[in-house]
Amino acid sequence: MKNQRMRFAILIVAVAVVTFGWITISTSEEEVPYVAISELLEGQGTWKQDRFRLGGLVEAGSIAYSYDRLAVDFVMVQGEARLPVHYSGLTPDMFQDETEVIIEGEYRDGVLYADNLMTKCASRYEVEITPDETATPQGV
Amino acid sequence: MALLGSTTLQLSLAFCGLAFVLNAMYLANRDGRFFVGAQRGLIASSLLILIATFSLVHQLMVSNFSVEYVARYSSAATPTMYKFAGLWAGMEGSLLFWLAILGIYVILVNYLNRARNRSLMPIVNVVMAIVMLFFLMVTIFFENPFTMLPEGIRMQVRGMGLNPLLQHPVMLIHPPMLYLGYVGFVVPFAFAVAALTTRRLDATWVRSTRRWTLLPWLFLAIGIILGGRWAYVELGWGGYWAWDPVENASFLPWLTGTAYLHSVIIQEKKNMLRLWNVILIMATFTLTIFGTYLTRSGILSSVHAFAGTELGIWFFGFVMLIIVACVILVLMRKDELASRNRLESFTSRESGFLFNNMIFVALALAVLWGTMFPILSEAVRGTKITVGSPYFDRITTPIGLILLLMIGIGPLLAWRRTSIGTMRRNFTLPMGAAIVVAAVCMLLGIHRIYPVLAIALVAFVLTGIVVEVVRGIGARRRTSGESSLRAFLNMVDKNRSRYGGAIVHLGVLLMFVGFVGKAFTVEQDTTLRTGESTHLQDYVFTLEKHYTVERSNHTALIADIAVSRADKLVTVLKPEKRVYTDQNNQPNSEVAIYSKPLEDLYALVGGENPESGSVVLKIMINPLVQMVWLGGIILTIGTIVAIWPSRTDRRLREKRLA
Repeated sequence: MKNQRMRFAILIVAVAVVTFGWITISTSEEEVPYVAISELLEGQGTWKQDRFRLGGLVEAGSIAYSYDRLAVDFVMVQGEARLPVHYSGLTPDMFQDETEVIIEGEYRDGVLYADNLMTKCASRYEVEITPDETATPQGV
Repeated sequence: MALLGSTTLQLSLAFCGLAFVLNAMYLANRDGRFFVGAQRGLIASSLLILIATFSLVHQLMVSNFSVEYVARYSSAATPTMYKFAGLWAGMEGSLLFWLAILGIYVILVNYLNRARNRSLMPIVNVVMAIVMLFFLMVTIFFENPFTMLPEGIRMQVRGMGLNPLLQHPVMLIHPPMLYLGYVGFVVPFAFAVAALTTRRLDATWVRSTRRWTLLPWLFLAIGIILGGRWAYVELGWGGYWAWDPVENASFLPWLTGTAYLHSVIIQEKKNMLRLWNVILIMATFTLTIFGTYLTRSGILSSVHAFAGTELGIWFFGFVMLIIVACVILVLMRKDELASRNRLESFTSRESGFLFNNMIFVALALAVLWGTMFPILSEAVRGTKITVGSPYFDRITTPIGLILLLMIGIGPLLAWRRTSIGTMRRNFTLPMGAAIVVAAVCMLLGIHRIYPVLAIALVAFVLTGIVVEVVRGIGARRRTSGESSLRAFLNMVDKNRSRYGGAIVHLGVLLMFVGFVGKAFTVEQDTTLRTGESTHLQDYVFTLEKHYTVERSNHTALIADIAVSRADKLVTVLKPEKRVYTDQNNQPNSEVAIYSKPLEDLYALVGGENPESGSVVLKIMINPLVQMVWLGGIILTIGTIVAIWPSRTDRRLREKRLA
């Protein structure tokens, strides 16, 4: 019986060790820093990764589609900091001037080559209610 | 009417507080009148919440835009059914809806236990009252859905309308299902706490809550699958799962809940793992609240995120309170929860369940770790580090395959110890099937290790289930001489948990087949002029024409894409790009999908290129996606089979009533 308990204990420990090992390895190999644009620009050369995730606004007027519209260049801004972005692929529905986007990709030679471009819906859910002059009076 | 809503909510808070106090008094001096009073107070509180909910639905239906919530999430032009969906479109309504579901559970639990579990019910009601109090306070003081707009702008406001993305039939079912699942776990949790407090630690509370656990588990599963379905048909990236924090938040309690459903079987049969079961159900409930916190606090960036609010801190506090209370309670009863029985052998059904539990918990930890990593890394290293789908795919694929293996092995093991003879008898066929299928895959040119393993394991499990069922039928036929079908039906009815479980396993198996298909998805982004074609695998996609249509609340750009294979027309896909004129010209894509049993043809139109007169398209071939939805349906059927009372149950019930 004692022997049996020991074997179960070993099994449980083994599963735990393998799981934690696997989690640790996967994390360290897949981790992508989520940084501010200014951090990315200032920290050049100090990052061990070349993949980053960033958030910001699409600068008005900066969107330039390629001729076949399958790629797009734009500038993402966050406060004072600006970052040129190149993205290949169809842009999401909400991608327009001034929308909030999250991008992920490689930073090379001053340009972020994004392979993932997400627009944030939060702003859409929480629009400001403003008086609407054209509306007919409603109420109960 | 809006006044009715906020008044009933406040009254409900008063009744709920009263119920809590009366319950405490009952526990102090055991005067039955206090218990009855508390019970009535809690039910009154629940009924008042339901009235408040109907009141909000009414406001939405009549489009009373003086109520801020209605103005935000509805408009006069919103179709009626989506006016109703406005109830869960925003934070305030969602919280009220959460409360309404809790109210329904409270009423049902009290009704169904009117003559049962007398010693547990007072504590069960205390726990449910605390949860209700918390949500009532949050709703009333921070996120009141009945807040009126200031007088000045009230008359000039016209509703903003429901986000077009949410205007989809699935969105009428997906959120209620998730909520029914989330909230439902409060019942087994409350029973666990009651069992601990009253020291009734045998399997009674586990048996009493079997259905109360299966039901929310099923709702959560349906909710998650429908969420995937919605993403697939509405979001236009061709997938159904992205490991988004909010998705993970719903997946986590489902994982621990699944582990719990398996491990309670050992408690019922062997009176073992009692401590473990208590911990699992506590973790599951905590994760449901934690999930609400994750979604609502905005601490994680997610495409789902509602704007962050001050609510986060309150939810965080509540989660901490639950954890601390649970830990103290478990520590106090630690010795009494210790098992008297021991596992006898590795090759037993018990250790199969144990191992399955370890894997589920490992999976849950891996997902939790990845979801929380941005927050943890920021706290420790000062930089927010994210891990995305690559991390989750990488880590969950092998764990998922081990689970698949366990689905196959577990039911084939005997209780206590499996003899070598039984092993050989039970495993030969499934092993053989797995090897043959793996070989066929290799011959067909599939060399990627995970897909081949997955398909082989699916064959293994499937053969195992068939062997189990065929043997069961054979045994019944020999003893009773029934026909095969009759024998099958009787066998299922005699042991609904086991065979319901087998059907659920079959559903999960099909879903795994669907996940394997994901590895073989092909896609192409392309620009086509009218008449031009492109090839994807052996299909030819030809743009026949594109045109614009004006509809009541949107303008749609439609592309007609003819898809043919070997010169035979398969279908014409008509994806649309809509611009909603009543929504500040918000664009929204309508995906076109043609589903065949084994693959989906998927097309999306990205827009028109004004310079060249061409249309930008995304086309995909998604193999086996249908299996995911079909698997979900079978999983649902299996769970219903397991929940449904057997003939013996029904007879016992009739006898009791007579």
